Amino acid sequence: MAAPIFEINALKHEYAGRTVLEIEHLGIRPASIVGLIGPNGSGKSTLLKMIGLIEKPTKGEIQFNGHKVEPFSEEARFRITLLPQEPFLMKRNVFANVTYGLKLRGGGGSLMKKAHKALAMVGLEGDEFLQRPWYALSGGEAQRVALAARLALKPTVLLLDEPTASVDAGSAQLIKEAALRARQASGTTLVIASHDLQWLFEICDEVLHLFKGKILGKGRETVIFGPWHELSAGQWGKVLPDAQLLRVPAPPNPEAPALIDLLPAVTEPVPETDELNRLKGTVSRLSLEKKTGHVFATVLVGGHPFTLRMATNQKERPHIYPGDTISVHYRIDQVKWV
Amino acid sequence: MDFLFDGFIQAFALLLSGNAETYSAIKVTLMVSSYSLGCSLVIGIPLGFGLGYFTFRGKKSIRTVVDTLMALPTVFIGLLVYAFLTHRGPLGDFGLLFTLPGIAVGQTILALPIVIGLSATAVESMDNKLRLAIMSMGANRRQLFLTSLWEVRHGLLAGSIAAYGRVMTEVGISMMVGGNIKWHTRTITTAIALETNKGQFGMGVALGLVLLIIAFGVNISVSFLRRRY
Repeated sequence: MAAPIFEINALKHEYAGRTVLEIEHLGIRPASIVGLIGPNGSGKSTLLKMIGLIEKPTKGEIQFNGHKVEPFSEEARFRITLLPQEPFLMKRNVFANVTYGLKLRGGGGSLMKKAHKALAMVGLEGDEFLQRPWYALSGGEAQRVALAARLALKPTVLLLDEPTASVDAGSAQLIKEAALRARQASGTTLVIASHDLQWLFEICDEVLHLFKGKILGKGRETVIFGPWHELSAGQWGKVLPDAQLLRVPAPPNPEAPALIDLLPAVTEPVPETDELNRLKGTVSRLSLEKKTGHVFATVLVGGHPFTLRMATNQKERPHIYPGDTISVHYRIDQVKWV
Repeated sequence: MDFLFDGFIQAFALLLSGNAETYSAIKVTLMVSSYSLGCSLVIGIPLGFGLGYFTFRGKKSIRTVVDTLMALPTVFIGLLVYAFLTHRGPLGDFGLLFTLPGIAVGQTILALPIVIGLSATAVESMDNKLRLAIMSMGANRRQLFLTSLWEVRHGLLAGSIAAYGRVMTEVGISMMVGGNIKWHTRTITTAIALETNKGQFGMGVALGLVLLIIAFGVNISVSFLRRRY
């Protein structure tokens, strides 16, 4: 296996004394696509800023290709680029924005040609857009120009922070396609923070679930917040809005968030036992993880979206469709506490 | 009030006839104010950038001091600079009293807090996302500084214009440090004061109009630069 392009060890970052990110170890393989999911404030953007070398972590170190790096490191500053969530362009025309990074790098070739090519990657016509000032662009166009400015650099690592959050559906599709084309064409490593779980599960080699600044798992778990009530001696749980009981082991405190990973779907009915909690839910969406061939179903249980993995073998896979009511299960002793 | 009307007529007559005394005062004013503005920009913009960009202990106190110094009375600066540059003063050996560089020193002190304060305000109003955008494109520290400055260019320009207006129109420093020596250190403002004392209101109004014309020219140029960049 290739050595990781990024390796993070014992990283901790604080804002005004409050810990916002704490990662014991994380490795990212070259030319892979890594997705980051988690609620707002979970540390996704902070993690991207750390590996994008925009901010220095309070503690710990980040290695890029085996070298310790920090903001302005010569080994990395021309090879990593980050596209922030909100489109931001400098107060210059589109040409100056798209070629800014190229000018910093020097090098030969026609800037005009490169700018045309980069804009074409995000579905914009160079002749129409290159001379436009920054204020004469829509939000979606500005975000695409910002992405074009980064794609023009042919980066080794492209970090995307919710790239489609504040743009229309058409722009979002073009941004998604452009990012994937960059990976195909130049072997760019992509790290993408997004709330578009379906997209991430479709394209990513690995999806990391962040919560309160920590990596909880590989992204298929559901976080359920307290309060938890003691039902009987040693038995804890909470009643969901649809009156179903969610049983959990004893929590560290009654408010602790629980991390629940459903057991894979099976065709045979499974009885509820002391170890196994069964819940009924409605299938809201089916998606395919291209890399593994797994089909995933999003199942709404009492308003909470759970992810259910189906067997790869077609014979063992239950035939379910969005709108179906199905039973899902999890092992109570495998519930993790955040 | 006829003298005002006469003043306007006289102003155009002085300017159009190429009156040597008037043009000497204009030249001295432009030279000395350009020296002082140049110095205050070179020193003040980096300091203002630092004050606006970085967070450090005592920043608020420094900001208060700078804001207070923006209102420094020109006669007070004139007095201090005179005391330092006079033969008995600590900088007397430099022989700067009653010279243009002497006036420029005083005017730089006058303009510096304005440049620092308004640059800091421009930098503080800079979008937080700018730093991220510049760094994510691979800029080093120097490029980050220069690009950030360019992005707040309109704010810096406004600060420079305010400072230029202040140094061009001050009387106290030019009078006390320059001595209002004809053909040598007489500026437009000291000439106006002198002519008014002599009862030559027309000449005073004429020179005042010249100041206005210069200010108008500067503002036209700035508007052009803003549109162009």
